[in-house]
Amino acid sequence: MAISDDDLAALRAAARVSTEAGDLEAYGGDWTRVYAPAPGAVAFPRSTEEVAALVTICHDREIAVVPSGGRTGLAGGAVAARGELVLTLDHMRRIDPVDVVGRTVRVDAGAVTEAVHEATAPHGLTWPVDFASKGSSHVGGNIATNAGGVKVIRYGLTRQWVLGLRVVTGTGAILDLGGALEKNNTGVDLRQLFIGSEGTLGIVCEATLKLARPAGHLDVLFFGLRDLASVLALFHAARRGPFEISAFEMLTDRCAARLERHRGVRPPLEAGCPMYALLEVEAPDREGLEAWLGELLEDDLVIDGTLAANHEQAARLWELREGISESLAATGLPHKNDIALPIAGLTAFCADLEALFARRYPDLEICLFGHIGDGNLHVNVMKPDAMDKAAFLARVHEADEAMFALVRSHRGSVSAEHGIGLLKRDWLGYTRSDGEIALMRQLKAVFDPKGILNPGKVF
Amino acid sequence: MKILVPVKRVADPDNANKMKVTADGSAVTSEGLAWKVNPFDEYAVEAALRLNEKGGSGDVLGETVVISLGDDEVIQTLRQPLAMGVDRAILVKASDGEIDSTVVAKALAAVVEKEQPDLVLMGKQAVDGDSNTAGQMLAEHLGWPMATFAMSIEVADDGKALVVGREVDTGVLTLKVTLPAVVTVDLRIVAPAAVKNGVTPDDHAYNEGARYASLKGIMKAKKKPVDQTSLSDLGVEASPLVEYTKYELPPARSGSATFVESVDELVEKLRTEAKVL
Repeated sequence: MAISDDDLAALRAAARVSTEAGDLEAYGGDWTRVYAPAPGAVAFPRSTEEVAALVTICHDREIAVVPSGGRTGLAGGAVAARGELVLTLDHMRRIDPVDVVGRTVRVDAGAVTEAVHEATAPHGLTWPVDFASKGSSHVGGNIATNAGGVKVIRYGLTRQWVLGLRVVTGTGAILDLGGALEKNNTGVDLRQLFIGSEGTLGIVCEATLKLARPAGHLDVLFFGLRDLASVLALFHAARRGPFEISAFEMLTDRCAARLERHRGVRPPLEAGCPMYALLEVEAPDREGLEAWLGELLEDDLVIDGTLAANHEQAARLWELREGISESLAATGLPHKNDIALPIAGLTAFCADLEALFARRYPDLEICLFGHIGDGNLHVNVMKPDAMDKAAFLARVHEADEAMFALVRSHRGSVSAEHGIGLLKRDWLGYTRSDGEIALMRQLKAVFDPKGILNPGKVF
Repeated sequence: MKILVPVKRVADPDNANKMKVTADGSAVTSEGLAWKVNPFDEYAVEAALRLNEKGGSGDVLGETVVISLGDDEVIQTLRQPLAMGVDRAILVKASDGEIDSTVVAKALAAVVEKEQPDLVLMGKQAVDGDSNTAGQMLAEHLGWPMATFAMSIEVADDGKALVVGREVDTGVLTLKVTLPAVVTVDLRIVAPAAVKNGVTPDDHAYNEGARYASLKGIMKAKKKPVDQTSLSDLGVEASPLVEYTKYELPPARSGSATFVESVDELVEKLRTEAKVL
């Protein structure tokens, strides 16, 4: 399905299309960096109508299309490595005026997450989808991947904050799926199918977002703990605390060591601890929060801890969590996995995981961190300095299989929030049944009969 | 040694709510602001704690006291240095309209007479007014030696003097001041090896920056005394010399972004619209 000169001419009649090497390189990949970008061309539509015109041509001529947003994905969902047409929403960034009474805003798919936050903030509202890559990620990409992030524990996934969608399907048809309606019980909610479909059913072009009042003053606490069981005991205590939790994150001492090597930062506690947890809360009752902290100390639940005295300290504590991904990549080659487990089974799973690696892969270092409040673990396996890359990739592939078997036996998910994309395709069957996957394929055939949208991704 | 650290409460610039000015420009409104210890004063607290502790052992070599001027709400801000390890706090009750640097310096001098510290250690300036005057005026009132902009402090002569590295335009100027003295500190005083008290081992690993309050520290701080006094108790007249006539906010930033299709179009727009070529 290579793109011919004739195809290019037809596409160029519909929108701007580039075949410049710089564009192909930049728009053909995402943050996975495992796959070399090799798209055939990059299209820059400026409206939903232009997207529809482009996809209609691709449908007629059977040209594969890879939808592309902010390219911050970690599963290769936006990778074009086989001569596809990348369709970037980069030039569709319009953000309409905020509807302050309805608490909604309509935006183009290419609007950057942070730009939406900035546009809604003056009205005392926010779109509570928030993560480290908010300065690059697009609303469309967030929706297509049902993005998670650090505030899921309080606000839920992206899915909760999308009221309406305008999508282009694999035939080039434009679908209007709901608008600014909070309530719309009129049959099957097709909109939900597109949220999290990773560009395999249609291209999200516009969205009406549901907004919320931003949280009040947030207190950030950082704890040093003995082991994972204490982290979970702390989480249980926090659930009963006199405040609302907006984040509960965990990292191990190995992550902390990599942070120190790369960024020169370390947890502001008296001594190093095996585990660390970051808790962010909205606590209007300050006395109550301090009394709760007193109980933690009395119960000997934590070794040490601190409470940020101001925004700067809070930001530095967050850096200890949000800087990890970058520091792992800067100090070595991480192989990333993003799994979810039922919270009740986390301790048992982690003990099994530790035992598995100790027995079969003692040469591989695991850096574990994640959104523990959501049962979401980021398992990063680091390449030993002496091992060459190909040998490492072969070895972690083998380790993945063993780990995903563990995930399956603990009734977890092989991809909590990163999606499936290319990277986790081989493992989808460890979480979803053959019957489910067959139904997904049938659904795709309905919206994309020729299979031109993001082929080879997910299933 | 006994160290007195004056601290000022300032608006936290990272808070979502910013300083506003009333419509007629006659006053600054503080509604919805979050408060914190002036960063340079926080560095002074850290330096004082390093001078007065035997690093890591929990042993203390002398009393460290913080003092501030303001209303009752300031007590909340004083809890932070207390949680960091300061022994007690003094609040001189006063309203914003009653004080400027001169009044502050006089009030501090009166407290120094009472408390008899060996050292007054404070920030070089507050990040709100940026006056950089209170420390100097205080030294003058007391007739004490003074070293401003300290980026290193080393205890000398068996604790009777300090060797202070001062950050100046041309480099570092090293002064020896006999105690009691007034020292104001600059940013680099919280570098890991900036303070040497002759007791803490040289290889003790201090973190860069002011320490965070530990949970134990926060709990202890709730029980530490905050003595309250007032300008009149101290015999200081609330008559500021500085008069503020008008406030205005800096102009808002402007600008927008548009996409261009090609380099030619960009050059064209730079020439005709932006008029920068």
